[in-house]
Amino acid sequence: MNGVRISGTAHALGPRRFGAVNWIGCWSLLRRQFKNSFSDLHYTLLGPVISNGLYLLLFVIASSSLTRLDPKGLVTFIAPGLVCFAIAERAFQVSGANLIYEKHERIHTDWLMAPLTPTERAACFALSSTIAGMMVGTAVALMTLLFVPAQVAHPAALLFFAAATGMMHGLIGTLLGIWAAKWDQYAALYTFVLLPLAFLSGVFAPVAAMPELAQRLIAFNPIFYLIDGFRYGATGAATADLRLSVSVAVAVNLALFAWAHYWLRTGYRLKS
Amino acid sequence: MTTPRVLQPSLAPRHYRTINWVGLSTLYMKEVRRFSSVATQTILAPMVTTLLFLAVFVLALGHAVDQVAGEPYRAFLAPGLIMMAITQNAFANTSSSILISKIQGNIVDLLMPPLTPLERTIGLAGGGLTRGIAVGIATWVAMTPFVPISVAHVGFVLFYALMASLFMSLVGVLAGVWAEKFDHMAAITNFIVTPAAFLSGTFYSAERLPPFWLGVAHANPLFYMIDGFRCGFIGHADGSLTAGVLVLLGANAALLWLTHRLIATGYHLKA
Repeated sequence: MNGVRISGTAHALGPRRFGAVNWIGCWSLLRRQFKNSFSDLHYTLLGPVISNGLYLLLFVIASSSLTRLDPKGLVTFIAPGLVCFAIAERAFQVSGANLIYEKHERIHTDWLMAPLTPTERAACFALSSTIAGMMVGTAVALMTLLFVPAQVAHPAALLFFAAATGMMHGLIGTLLGIWAAKWDQYAALYTFVLLPLAFLSGVFAPVAAMPELAQRLIAFNPIFYLIDGFRYGATGAATADLRLSVSVAVAVNLALFAWAHYWLRTGYRLKS
Repeated sequence: MTTPRVLQPSLAPRHYRTINWVGLSTLYMKEVRRFSSVATQTILAPMVTTLLFLAVFVLALGHAVDQVAGEPYRAFLAPGLIMMAITQNAFANTSSSILISKIQGNIVDLLMPPLTPLERTIGLAGGGLTRGIAVGIATWVAMTPFVPISVAHVGFVLFYALMASLFMSLVGVLAGVWAEKFDHMAAITNFIVTPAAFLSGTFYSAERLPPFWLGVAHANPLFYMIDGFRCGFIGHADGSLTAGVLVLLGANAALLWLTHRLIATGYHLKA
């Protein structure tokens, strides 16, 4: 009798074992991410919807008053790019801004202490950003229906590239959030690197219409492949080879995931 | 007998002449240093964003536009974009300064010093005006390699740049005084400032607009700012310049009075 009780206590005091994945821990971290980023839904959704609606309106007014271009064709081309861009922006903010805030408040120890593996942490950051980004993307996509009829040529491609865009920017946000010590650095990288890459990725103009130098540079911009693939999912027309776009999306996401995993494992700028 | 006579003047309330120059310049310099110490974010960042707008619109529409108002599309676009940058940053400077002070609780630094409401208004608006002009000059310089910008009427350029940044600085003061949370400011930016800036005739010529959008443009003070400012560069205005000058002078006088009134009564500041 005694022996049984002692062995029972010893079991409870011993290290707790988790299966291959600590599901409870992952679920908690995800909920925590969502709680932080969804408290202000009304303006995280409304802001992008309004500003992207204004972009579309501008293009319609400008193209119909200044050019003989068909505004419908132009909007059909731009709308998927804007949705993609909205996904990217939100996904980036969710992980990036959240991490810097937590580092400032020193509450990132909450998830550093929790019994989670680096893979689980990286996956939770990527997943929460992807979901948040796709929610904003859905809102912006619904807004574009005011301008163009709904178009889904290849639903699988649409979802794949939406998720790949969200994940990639979620991981970039994670890396940036880990690296940046101040808001300034975060904002500077956003404005001077990410925004130009996203704006000059063929969101607004077909790459074929650009100068040759620009075309050659854009071929090195991963965001171009994501937006091109997403547009293929919506309209059925792609500039780049679809297999190339898929490969770039997968390769870049894997590389970023490995990088984030490495920093989370070593505790770079998190545990010092 | 002599000691009290020496002490008395120093204990009596200090008198200022018509204007407390030391106080006013202190407030103004505080407002300027607030943005110049983070110039990467307050001057360079808007400059880059504006250049991106230029690139996007020239790439998307430039090839299909022959000429607007006798100018290539990018020469038409550039002055409007510079003006957009000026107005948005003038607004951002005053509105964020007041709102952040209110949230952090250091708004007393603005309310306690021996300044008249008019001096406070001028000090705050002066900071916003300076940031607007600084961003305008930076954007102009950054655009010159890409767009040939010539000046037709220097007077117009200066008048509209100053009037527009004063206007938006004062609007920013009003917004900062009214708002109590960052949510409120986000709402003002999303629903008023950004739409007004985008639908102001920066990207298209009002001459060829459908009647509805023409009406929208004429009801928008930013339309007159951009139109007049652009006229200073390309020598052609879409609307009436007299109307523009009158609208801006009238609007600024009214805003100055309203801002002064709110600061004097302490509305949302001293409660």
